[in-house]
Amino acid sequence: MSMESTRSANSAKRSFNNNSNSASSNSNSNPSNKKKKTSQKTLGVAWGSNSRSSSRSSFSNSPFSNFGSYMVEKNRKLQNQFEAEASTSSHGGLGSVKPIFDGVSIFVDGFTVPSSQELRGYMLKHGGRFENYFSRRRVTHIICSNLPDSKIKNLRSFSRGLPVVKPTWILESVSANKLLSWVPYQLDQLANNQPKLSAFFTLKRSSVSNGASTHAPCQVNPEAEDSSLKVGTSGDTYFSEVSKRFEHSKQISGESDDLVDENSNASLVEEPANSSGKPCEVAMAVPSNIDTEDESSVKNYLQSNHYQPSALVSGNCINNQNMKGSPSSTVSEPSNQSHSTLGDPNFVENYFKNSRLHFIGTWRNRYRKRFRTLSDGFNCTSSNIKASALKTAIMHVDMLSSGTILNYEISLLLYAIQTTGKELLKFHLQTTLLEIMAGMFVRDAKALCPHLVIFPYNFEAYEEVADQFYSVLHKHGNKVQAVSCDEAFLDVTDSEGDPQLLASKIRREIFETTGCTASAGIAGNMLMARLATRTAKPDGQCYIPPERVDDYLSQLPIKALPGIGYVLEEKLKKQNVRTCGQLRMISKDSLQKDFGLKTGEMLWNYSRGVDNRLVGLIQESKSVGAEVNWGVRFKDVKDAQNFLSNLCKEVSLRLQGCGVEGRTFTLKIKKRRKDAEEPTKYMGHGDCENLSHSTTVPVATDDVEVLQRITKQLFGSFHLDVKEIRGVGLQVSRLESTENSKQGLERNSLKSWLTSASARTEELCKNNYVAKESSNQGCEGEGDETLVQLCGNSVGLSIQMDSNTYNGAACLNEVSVPPPLCHLDMGVLKSLPPELFSELNEIYGGKLVDFVAKNKGKTENMNHTLRAYSHEKIEGAMKEGQAALLSSMVFQNEIPVENKAKQHIAKEVPAVSGAESFVPASGLMKTDLIPSSLSQVDTAVLQQLPEELKVDIFEHLPAHRMQVFSPNVLLYPTEIPLEALGTKTAENNSGSKDFVLDNNLWVGIPPQWVEKFKVSNCLILNILAEMYYKSGSTGNLSPILQCISSVSIHQLDAFQDGWDEAMYILCELLKQYIKLKIELDIEEIYVCFRLLRRFAMKSEFFIQVYNIVSPYLQALVGENYGGNLHMSLKD
Amino acid sequence: MDRKDNQSPQGETARILVEFLEVAITSIVFLKGVYPSGAFERRRYMNLVVQRARHPQLRDYIHSAVFGLLPFIQKGMVERAAVIFFNTDGIPVERFVFKLAVNQSYGSKVEHADLEFSLRSFLIKLSVSESLTKVLPRDYRWEITAYFRSLPEASANKDVEQWIPTDTRQWEQPPLLTPIKSMSSEPLCVQLYIEHPSLSEPKP
Repeated sequence: MSMESTRSANSAKRSFNNNSNSASSNSNSNPSNKKKKTSQKTLGVAWGSNSRSSSRSSFSNSPFSNFGSYMVEKNRKLQNQFEAEASTSSHGGLGSVKPIFDGVSIFVDGFTVPSSQELRGYMLKHGGRFENYFSRRRVTHIICSNLPDSKIKNLRSFSRGLPVVKPTWILESVSANKLLSWVPYQLDQLANNQPKLSAFFTLKRSSVSNGASTHAPCQVNPEAEDSSLKVGTSGDTYFSEVSKRFEHSKQISGESDDLVDENSNASLVEEPANSSGKPCEVAMAVPSNIDTEDESSVKNYLQSNHYQPSALVSGNCINNQNMKGSPSSTVSEPSNQSHSTLGDPNFVENYFKNSRLHFIGTWRNRYRKRFRTLSDGFNCTSSNIKASALKTAIMHVDMLSSGTILNYEISLLLYAIQTTGKELLKFHLQTTLLEIMAGMFVRDAKALCPHLVIFPYNFEAYEEVADQFYSVLHKHGNKVQAVSCDEAFLDVTDSEGDPQLLASKIRREIFETTGCTASAGIAGNMLMARLATRTAKPDGQCYIPPERVDDYLSQLPIKALPGIGYVLEEKLKKQNVRTCGQLRMISKDSLQKDFGLKTGEMLWNYSRGVDNRLVGLIQESKSVGAEVNWGVRFKDVKDAQNFLSNLCKEVSLRLQGCGVEGRTFTLKIKKRRKDAEEPTKYMGHGDCENLSHSTTVPVATDDVEVLQRITKQLFGSFHLDVKEIRGVGLQVSRLESTENSKQGLERNSLKSWLTSASARTEELCKNNYVAKESSNQGCEGEGDETLVQLCGNSVGLSIQMDSNTYNGAACLNEVSVPPPLCHLDMGVLKSLPPELFSELNEIYGGKLVDFVAKNKGKTENMNHTLRAYSHEKIEGAMKEGQAALLSSMVFQNEIPVENKAKQHIAKEVPAVSGAESFVPASGLMKTDLIPSSLSQVDTAVLQQLPEELKVDIFEHLPAHRMQVFSPNVLLYPTEIPLEALGTKTAENNSGSKDFVLDNNLWVGIPPQWVEKFKVSNCLILNILAEMYYKSGSTGNLSPILQCISSVSIHQLDAFQDGWDEAMYILCELLKQYIKLKIELDIEEIYVCFRLLRRFAMKSEFFIQVYNIVSPYLQALVGENYGGNLHMSLKD
Repeated sequence: MDRKDNQSPQGETARILVEFLEVAITSIVFLKGVYPSGAFERRRYMNLVVQRARHPQLRDYIHSAVFGLLPFIQKGMVERAAVIFFNTDGIPVERFVFKLAVNQSYGSKVEHADLEFSLRSFLIKLSVSESLTKVLPRDYRWEITAYFRSLPEASANKDVEQWIPTDTRQWEQPPLLTPIKSMSSEPLCVQLYIEHPSLSEPKP
């Protein structure tokens, strides 16, 4: 309790302090000091009443009666400290400017980047407050980067309804040098429950702000605006009267001094204050009702215009007062409304119908469609040109002499000028006049020339001319880049003749076909060409050779450069830069520092006449959308919804027009800033906060209803007061071409069909492949061994290729013994002796029969070749083939089965071990498999082997094993006809060894082992590879192991086959990892090995792995750190 | 600011590193409870709550020792810096070792934030790793020791004279290591681990 009363007192004090800081209100400082004193007094009173248990004296003697009073005192001190610091650190010199964070008081919760201290610094510097302790009253924003779950769940009790904002809000506000809306910076974690939350905030806040803003004109304006100062009190009464009836008329009336004519609608046309002289900025916003008027009404209007010329010229104040005094002004209000969304249900439609910018925007799409083939053809060549761009010539053609108004044809007449009733249609005079007026607000133009008539655009005629214009251009060069409907770049590098001659030719043709004059500029790049056109205007041409570029630029005012607008110009002017020559003095670094990386570079380049853009690069549009920022005034939610659905219609039409569909929808809202004054432009949007929300749907669409639904949702998520909205835009991105998406649908369905059938197809393919391979072999009648090897290779290949089917075949994993059915060679299977076949069938749990039957039905063709194959084949070769396959199966078997099968084979086929020699190659698993398996080979079998095979086997035997078989060695003749083969297998072996032994298991992203393990047939390795992806693919081992420990520790031993291989490879993996990390990251290794040790407690496999690797580890640690890793067994 | 600007990346890195070491060593001393906790006060460093010695002599010792290393770290001569706790016989009981590696050829600008982020993790980890350490015997002392790759020539630099060869004895057996934290972020690589005498170490 005690805290709150003092708090309010303090906060009062604070605000006054701010005032006294700002130098502008010097006169205020005295009263504020007085207030300060009084607030101090109330502070004292508050103390007295609140410190319950103690008297005032005990308080002043500072032993605190209780914790509460202590905290109060502490807070007070902290605040004093803060204020003291603030007064020194805030920039007092700029007192007239309101500090950014005026009225903002933050509380930083938990860890943030930047730290709370830095944030405090920002607040100090920019007039905000920083609270060390949370309080609902004083704090306006809570800043934090992360919230614990409990606080999220209980957000209301944590934040007390205050906005919870990320620290970037402050940073970006500082860098933008104004207080940004906190809404986009809301904590991500809250994004889900945001709607509810922000609904609560916005309702509450907007009601406050509404209240404030309705009073604002009365109190603030007199100080700020001269004109309204004059009309002072009458303005107030006026406001109170009118604004009650028209909530939004306050905007209009605030602007009433700008209104040219209250009585006539037709003239209420406003222009953006675009002093940059952009073409065709005039009369962008033709009021919606103008198109209802016919030509004749213009005359009426002109007459009515006559009785106010003096008022128009004489100035705003009179106008103002006229308006206020006369009842007609209130009458005029409703008529004005029709320009806004209020009162005109078809606003959107009319808006776009009359918007010139819209015309130009959509025109581009039209152009692209029309000239697509042409520019496409060009695009292909452009890359070639690029290389040889030694002496390029770019021509810039601008059709309108002043770059502003097209006015030759009466249908294109935008402005007609009437002087004393006599129409002047003389072309040149108009041009000169119009040049003066280009880019002016209509009201200014009217002030200059009271008889100005404003015609609506005639877009059809405009379009026609534009088309003619472009066909001329395309006739003369296929590298045309359209800038707008009357302006284009041509790359005339490779056209014959003097570009200047060409330019005059083009200009002549344009004049002949369209009747409009065009200016042309020629130079080495697009920038210079455009600048040249500037010189050439009106109706002329100019060539700037490369050697003259510097001279030309040095005196050029910076404003002439494209990309330099008002703001940039002002900034540069502050640095005393007015011409490009001066701009060149500034280093690129400092430019980039001041204006940002891109703008800085652009300035640097442009001031030197450097422009690397290529003519003709038409970007595919990334998004399609429509935005209305003029005349948007909503009365209630229904208005807004209506407007939105119309906007959706428009966007949908545009999407269809471009032949695309989109997936991401962004709704942009311009919201009137709380303290924004009336926009200078009539019905403009003025100073706004830009808000946007977007959503992505899975399927691209251009459907109106879907759009409307989505837009409504998006709009709902803003939770805005519709009255505050000044502009709405809907943008659709992630476009897909309509045709593509339709194809995509088909493809998808095809794909899904395919995948369901894919397993089968794959099997078939593989069988085909293997069978063909072997049948070819058989036909050629080559040696047995080659056949064996080929079979082996192809099997190996299929293992690699098809780990998926392999893993997926759960039924096979159950047995976990033989290779998957799909790896079986049908040919071999078929020619197997019945006994063997039945045994195999047993191993496969009876599936082999089905398999063969299936194949029989399906692969007639293959069977055919197989038959041929089996016919032509020599008996011995066939047996080899069988053996090869069988042994490859056998090697993946569990040991008992393996033995059994082997015995069996030994009985049937004398060539088992011969087949074994290829196993390392096919399995790609492990090389030291040979010795272990050979030790199991029956010597009797071995002795019966053909000599060649024996040679092979012994080549793979380690030396010490040779002795065991020495009697056999004596047996075989020393002629070695198959040396070639031997080396081949050796190569294969070394290949498979390579991947293990060359320290490259950890190379790459993902590291190589992941791929190898994925295709491996060892369960544990598969798990490892799988975990790699699950653990987030960091490239570190410890997260992978951690994943394993959480998932499958109990089944680590569940596999039997390939135990040795798996262990060997895993050890190698670990060793390489240790080697990789030992120097820099012993912690990671330590974590891994502690995990491994934990596994070892549960798994036999990992005990062995651990025992193998840990000596190696300790040795390396000793080498690098002079000690052993401490692997205690405490836990 | 000026000082920062005209320093090489190595100099900048070394400065950050030294500052960090000062804080980290203080944290270790605090962690081991060498002095009563009242000898420390809470401070904020890298946006973390850390301890700082209040006693001027203690603070000076740590500060001067660590900042004495600065020129050598810049040259890449310091291999390890250790905080050694040893008993009355001068036999170490526990050693906290910082293994340092500064990439001398790293030319580009050091990303302050990255470096801070990595270094911060040390301090966080350190504050929770008390369980990894041993209980120290009753009368023990501690010192800061630096291990050089090569001994600097005394005449060449005055800073060298501040350093004296240590009297602390070495273990006879290779010690047991318990890594605490490693970081490797260009151009700096720091590892912190604790060394304990091996189990087979002859007991005094």
